[in-house]
Amino acid sequence: MPGSSLSRYLRIAAAWLVAGLFFFPIYYWTSVAFRDGRDIFSRPPKIFDFSPTLDNFQKVFGIHFGQGSLTVTPGGGNFYMAPRLWDSIVIGVGSTILAVAIATLAAYALSRIHFRARHSFVGWVLSTRMMPPVAVAIPMFFMYKTLGLLDTYLGMILIHALMNLPLAVLLMKSFFDDVPKEIDESAVVDGASRWLIFRRIVLPMARGGIAATAVLCFIFSWTEFLFALTLTQTQIKTVPVVSTTFVTSVGTAWGNMAALGAAAIVPAFIFVLAVQRHLVRGLTMGSLKQ
Amino acid sequence: MRDWQRKTYLASVTDRYVKGQMDRRSFLRAAGKLGLSVGALGAGFGLSGRRPFFNLAPSAFAEGSLEPSPEMMKWLADVGKPFAGTTLRLATESTPPSNAIANSLKPFFEKASGIKIEIEVLPLEQVLQKLTLDVASQLGTYDLYYIDQSWAANFSQDVFDPREQIKDKPDLAYPDYNIDDFLPPLVDGIAKYKDRWVGVPYDIPIFIMQYRKDIYDELGLKAPETMDELLTNSQKITEAKGPQLYGTTGQMKSGHYSLECDWTCWLWGHGGQIFDTDRKFVGNNDAGIKAIEYWDKLKKTMPPGVDGWTWDGEGQSVSQGVAASMLSWGEFFPFFDDPKSGKISGLMEAAVPPKAITLISPDKTGFGEIPGVGHQGGSSLAVSKYSKNPDAAWVFMQWATAADTQALITVLGGGTGPTRTSVYDDPRVKANARVGAGTTRHLPVVRETISKYMGSEPDLPEWAEISSDTIPVALGQYFAGQYDSPKAAMDDIKTKVEAVLKS
Amino acid sequence: MTTSDLVRRRVVSDHPLPWLMPLIAILVVFTIFPLVYNIWLSFHEFVPRRRALEWVGGRNWAQLWADTRFWQSLTVTFIYFGIALAVELVLGMAIALLLDADEPGFGFLRGILTMTLVIPPAIAGMMYLLMEDPQFGVISYVLKAIGLLSPATPILATTQYALAGVLLAEIWQWTPFMVLILLAGLRALPSEPYEAAMIDGASPWQTFWRLTMPMMSKVIAIAVLIRGIDLFRVFDYVFVMTSGGPGTATYTLSLYAWQQTFSFVKWGYGATLSLVMLLIVLIIANVFIKVAKVRW
Repeated sequence: MPGSSLSRYLRIAAAWLVAGLFFFPIYYWTSVAFRDGRDIFSRPPKIFDFSPTLDNFQKVFGIHFGQGSLTVTPGGGNFYMAPRLWDSIVIGVGSTILAVAIATLAAYALSRIHFRARHSFVGWVLSTRMMPPVAVAIPMFFMYKTLGLLDTYLGMILIHALMNLPLAVLLMKSFFDDVPKEIDESAVVDGASRWLIFRRIVLPMARGGIAATAVLCFIFSWTEFLFALTLTQTQIKTVPVVSTTFVTSVGTAWGNMAALGAAAIVPAFIFVLAVQRHLVRGLTMGSLKQ
Repeated sequence: MRDWQRKTYLASVTDRYVKGQMDRRSFLRAAGKLGLSVGALGAGFGLSGRRPFFNLAPSAFAEGSLEPSPEMMKWLADVGKPFAGTTLRLATESTPPSNAIANSLKPFFEKASGIKIEIEVLPLEQVLQKLTLDVASQLGTYDLYYIDQSWAANFSQDVFDPREQIKDKPDLAYPDYNIDDFLPPLVDGIAKYKDRWVGVPYDIPIFIMQYRKDIYDELGLKAPETMDELLTNSQKITEAKGPQLYGTTGQMKSGHYSLECDWTCWLWGHGGQIFDTDRKFVGNNDAGIKAIEYWDKLKKTMPPGVDGWTWDGEGQSVSQGVAASMLSWGEFFPFFDDPKSGKISGLMEAAVPPKAITLISPDKTGFGEIPGVGHQGGSSLAVSKYSKNPDAAWVFMQWATAADTQALITVLGGGTGPTRTSVYDDPRVKANARVGAGTTRHLPVVRETISKYMGSEPDLPEWAEISSDTIPVALGQYFAGQYDSPKAAMDDIKTKVEAVLKS
Repeated sequence: MTTSDLVRRRVVSDHPLPWLMPLIAILVVFTIFPLVYNIWLSFHEFVPRRRALEWVGGRNWAQLWADTRFWQSLTVTFIYFGIALAVELVLGMAIALLLDADEPGFGFLRGILTMTLVIPPAIAGMMYLLMEDPQFGVISYVLKAIGLLSPATPILATTQYALAGVLLAEIWQWTPFMVLILLAGLRALPSEPYEAAMIDGASPWQTFWRLTMPMMSKVIAIAVLIRGIDLFRVFDYVFVMTSGGPGTATYTLSLYAWQQTFSFVKWGYGATLSLVMLLIVLIIANVFIKVAKVRW
């Protein structure tokens, strides 16, 4: 829709303004990571004119830039976060692979093979996301205890994959719906099996969709809190769980919390940026094809 | 000069230098007499202004002096031998003692005893969740329990009584443990439920009066000794300095436990009580109403927004120079002295809480409630009965709560309040009584408050719900103007509390 | 092709079951068990003194009717749900339309918007708690500076504003999610109808209502469904920012279920509340699927 150049510039300006408004809290929070207490809590609040410090990162990651001696601080503490970021990455990547693999298989069948209960089957899959996490956490705790999955990567990967499956199935189905059916129909005539068609023809064509699904699964796993809290103990800790430990009996270590938050945005954001283009395309969910 | 005397002297010199009562040259000369060259004092000088050197708290100590005593290390090595390779787990709130152990002291224990210890640091309500699941499943995931004073009733049957452990395991007992060293009011208020000890007192945050000396001096005020003085002082300050600076502050977030803590302080201070001997809620009697009326007046002298703050916002408001006093957690005092956290380093003074108008004696209350203006929020440490290694856990517990370790915790953990009498007199603790992060200069006040003014909440299994939901939600409604009168609010709380007790 | 090949193809790969098996297995194990367990739990209650669950019959269910906190929180939940969904949808649509162009840098702007999703909701709540603080918060400061808020008003501790304060965090974090879904739909629209409309001289307003909206209705329906399901369960913002206060002004059903379960160890009643939530969401979602004629 070409418009006059004035309206074009207005649109560009408005787009940057809107993105700026959404970005501001992220900027502000990141800047808190570089402040000491005086600059976080000042009246009026400081936006740009604070004196930057790396103290929060030193404390949170247990690294020392330059001279340092004893590490304990009132209200904070040295939480050695690097391993925790690693836990989040392992669980995020693991659960994403599992969820995408299972969802891809199922979604292909739902897209290509007609069976009577198909519509209600998808409805049922979606309904598994309606259960409040609070209601799942306690039975899961007892089940995991019996199975020995408590506090393990496998346990966390399974539960996060489960949580993401309904969304992943819907997304992947929409992508397969986008791949013209004529292609695999002609292959069937040629005598190729479903599995072969799936692996050699449909899957490669839906690569973008897999990327988009993966990003969303990864984001939801990265930010999940309740399962990560209930089903882990001392061995594994994800970023959201660790973040809450900065709320202490002698106040909240805001700077430390922000430092971990800022550091935790980076890996997730790299993942998102890498597949951003596929993401937008992938979210159509096939709803236009009917 | 003995070593600790040297340190005390250095600390006081440092204090004077920092406060600007001493010039740099005489400071360096004094430091030089102690055998410290400029280099040994650290890089702080080069960066003065931006980064005063006392930030490296606690700098009054030389490298290696803040380590467990050799006797302790030897005992750990002896007694820990059979348990070498065992792993112990503890879930605890993020408090100064736990952070000091997890971050600084743990390696000493592990090295000496060969026992590995994993500490899970969590916010308070998550600790409760983890312990409840552990108890309900009898899983024995955690060998040691961190038990807030308000949960003592719930977990009393799930942990060992430390007195029995001492008796039953003479070969594991630390000779210098001295269980009688724990401050008796803390044993009563925190650890004891009926006749059992639910672990030993581990941590003691307690309400003390903290105020800005400079503002009080400027306006010719003195530390409040009565409830009325606290109110008039606050009114004067707010009148003179508001809206830049307010007289006092609070932790009054609706629906949060902190609001209930503030309430008990005013309630007890006006001769009120939560439960009577028949275990009926009586917070709505005349004294209870007077307390709310007083609180209303006091709230007018607090900064707008106080009803959205927990202890974090309350502490920040003082630390950033928005409020000139608080009758609240003494744990915050060292934080106020930290020049990196706030704007009032060295300006705060501590005093015992103002006297109650009248005080109900504990034998007239129910559920073991002990009225007192100095509200305590302590916790205890105990060995779980479901632990698979109760003996190793007991060794750790003795170490973590021994006088020697507690002194280190107090200094390393940023001036938190010790639970043992002897630690208040420990030279290492006293040496840190100077202005700066992690100061211990408020501890004499904490000690006096514990022995004379301490108030303790009742012990009953329903208390978690009453104290962190029923009461603070209704009080939040009251301060949001949803009740016609204090009487209406308190009567409603009575109905609701009794409904919780009945179910 | 031999007969056995044909049989294998028909039985093994043309039947949906082998493809769906892993999905069905994981969903059955991980959702049927919690569901059954919760139903069982809703007829029991945890007794702290005995550290055990005890049969209480229908007490938990009967209790619901008389529980004013339940009805209050249900009301708040519906208000929260309605406002959040409406604002996220309208705002999301507006932003999606704005970004639906091939201008330089728009891909980057879409990436910027996605960043809000990467932050754990509990942390987003903390961010807004700090920014809305009446003394130190930058949002409060700006609102006061432009005269929208009187200086003595704390947003999150004032009954009229608290919900708006919480919704601000909610809407900030989830509008970009709507934008992504709607934008994907817009990008996939065919261009021919628009060319025809231009020739007919339709105004952009007419084009939007007569062309874009009808073609987008399925996408919108799915976006609303997905976000709606999640919205009902979200409690992080209220938990962190207001604890449901002042009073019960922002106390949602999911917060209530969480508190009953985890803070007060009333697992039975917590399970009952969870099941009620599940029922409500199931009913609303199914009615919505019927009314909006959502097909997969």
